[in-house]
Amino acid sequence: MRKQRLRDNIAGYLFTGPALILIGIFSIFPVFFTVYVSLFKWRPNGPAGFLGLGNYVEMFGGNPLWLLLTLASIGGFVLAAFLLRSRRGAAGKALGLAGGIGVLAASLVAFVVALPYLVAQGDKEVFDSIRVTIWYSIGTVPIQLAAGMVLAVLLNQKVAGRQAFRVVYLIPYIAPAVATAAIFELLLSLRTDSFANQLLGLFGAQPLQWLQEPRGIFQMLSGAAAYGPAPAMGVIPAYWSEWAQGPSLAMGSIIIYSWWVFIGYYSLLYLNGLSNIPRQLYEAAEVDGAGKLRSFFSITVPLLSPTTYLLTILGVMGTFKAFTHIFVLRHAAAAGTVDPVSVSIFFTYFRKSRLGYASAVSMLLFAIVLGLTVLQRRTEKRLEYGD
Amino acid sequence: MATRPRSPFRWGRLVLFAVLLAGAGITILPFLFMISTSLKTLAETLTRISPSPFSPDFWPRTPQWSNYRDAWKVASFGIFFKNSVIIAVTTMVETVVISALSAYAFSKIRFAGREILFTILLSTLIIPETVYLIPNVIIVSSFGWMNTLAGLTLPFVASAFFIFLLRQFFNQVPNELLEVSRIDGAGHLRSFRSVMLPLSKAPLFTVAFLSFIGSWNALQWPLVVTQGSKWRPLTVGLTMFITEAGPEMQLRMAGAVIAIAPVILLYFVAQKQFTEAITRSGIKA
Repeated sequence: MRKQRLRDNIAGYLFTGPALILIGIFSIFPVFFTVYVSLFKWRPNGPAGFLGLGNYVEMFGGNPLWLLLTLASIGGFVLAAFLLRSRRGAAGKALGLAGGIGVLAASLVAFVVALPYLVAQGDKEVFDSIRVTIWYSIGTVPIQLAAGMVLAVLLNQKVAGRQAFRVVYLIPYIAPAVATAAIFELLLSLRTDSFANQLLGLFGAQPLQWLQEPRGIFQMLSGAAAYGPAPAMGVIPAYWSEWAQGPSLAMGSIIIYSWWVFIGYYSLLYLNGLSNIPRQLYEAAEVDGAGKLRSFFSITVPLLSPTTYLLTILGVMGTFKAFTHIFVLRHAAAAGTVDPVSVSIFFTYFRKSRLGYASAVSMLLFAIVLGLTVLQRRTEKRLEYGD
Repeated sequence: MATRPRSPFRWGRLVLFAVLLAGAGITILPFLFMISTSLKTLAETLTRISPSPFSPDFWPRTPQWSNYRDAWKVASFGIFFKNSVIIAVTTMVETVVISALSAYAFSKIRFAGREILFTILLSTLIIPETVYLIPNVIIVSSFGWMNTLAGLTLPFVASAFFIFLLRQFFNQVPNELLEVSRIDGAGHLRSFRSVMLPLSKAPLFTVAFLSFIGSWNALQWPLVVTQGSKWRPLTVGLTMFITEAGPEMQLRMAGAVIAIAPVILLYFVAQKQFTEAITRSGIKA
């Protein structure tokens, strides 16, 4: 028996050895190594001087007050959400409500004031890339979810060529992103007779610059012509007016590409979710006189919520690591308005050869993703236990 | 109970079909545009453009098949293609072997520290890939693996997700089945090969497909690791061509066709397994 156990141990380590060694070297060690590298000025041929927290100071600026205040206000939002949900008796509920609103208001004020000063003293490029990432999430995830769900429901009907449609809708997701992005780079060219501009012409609209248009979409809709820093304004309104301009049209073009790629993929996962909904529910609803639309909103949407939840996480995390299509679709004219954090980190290494600073920005990205993961775990538990 | 009136029912079906057809059209149109542009002359790519495949301007006057020869030879897409095949097949084989072996051990062999090692393995799933970029560049170059097949493939072949996926499946295989094969003193490797592997074709295909496609479509890592055309894959070659070469849209699109075709062919051949694999990959998060 002891011989058997020894043999099992040896076999176990031999079988798992290659995987564990590779994961150790290329997945676990790098996390700690990134922290180390981020403390140095590090060039492609090696470290070129210890900086301590220098890279982080460059990113967040010299005065720690604004960083702490921004973090505190984000913590305040979480606390407020927690207080607003507390349900311990009527008194507790009222207290929670009052406290929640108070904390929320205070955090909001702190956030609105602190963030612009943090950005003003920190690295604008990094904060711009975070804003781009957020716009990218907002522009892609909700639309892909809604369109993917509707498409899945349509594909789930008995319709001629159903299987063929399913096959076709998945092609953009499977094809190499470099190649499909290269096609869109051509479709969305700024030439007046480009594919996209001819299409606009059919509706009597003027040609657009698409991927080379750095102006914000909201800004363009409001008719403002100039792109660039706003005229003399205080730090706070100047910062928030940049948000008010919306994502650039160049980002909007990338978002359209993203819809084309991902809606079919989302609908495939939704179809998988639909197959788990018992038919009898729809039959019962029909007997009760519910129409198609009613059963869609009362049965389909709620019962697909696990898939929706999963796809939301996948989508948001996807925007944090988005790289390939943006690398192909970005033009110098609009570069700063389309680079999410992942692309910004890449160029800090690839163009500027600043490995130490790129590591520091990677740590910021890691912190954000970790924060979102913790938040996700909490809400997931809540969903599971039906709170 | 009243029966449904017949005609609106059919109209509904027709509208549904039309909507799905329009959607399929939007999905396919960019690919048609790619193919038609890849067969145009340089002048035609600039002067004959139309958003409608029903317009003659959408298509070339005479298909320039020589564009493909030019892309393959002059723009070196032939070399990039060969590199992509070697890199993707190597990644696929390494991934399947390494993941299957370790998933088997985590599922069926009792060895000291198994649970804790598996937990550590799973914890790597929450690390965003972008974080690996800088340290792995430094690690791979300190190994002297820049511009080598090892540097291109090994950092990605041990994936916690694939090991997790296979272990889930292996767990469902009853132990008795393996013990029967081991009564005659056969070792773990034997029961792994002759019992477990033949039972697990579907999940192994999933891992093979996903790792092949992942490697074939990858851009960032090969962009960083490769220099010159020695190991440069199609994705990098095409990107370089877009950013550095002239306005030869027809060659770009021929390059895009060369990059897309193998994946789409594979997809059409093994459509069912592919769809299954991609559905499984969605369980990742």
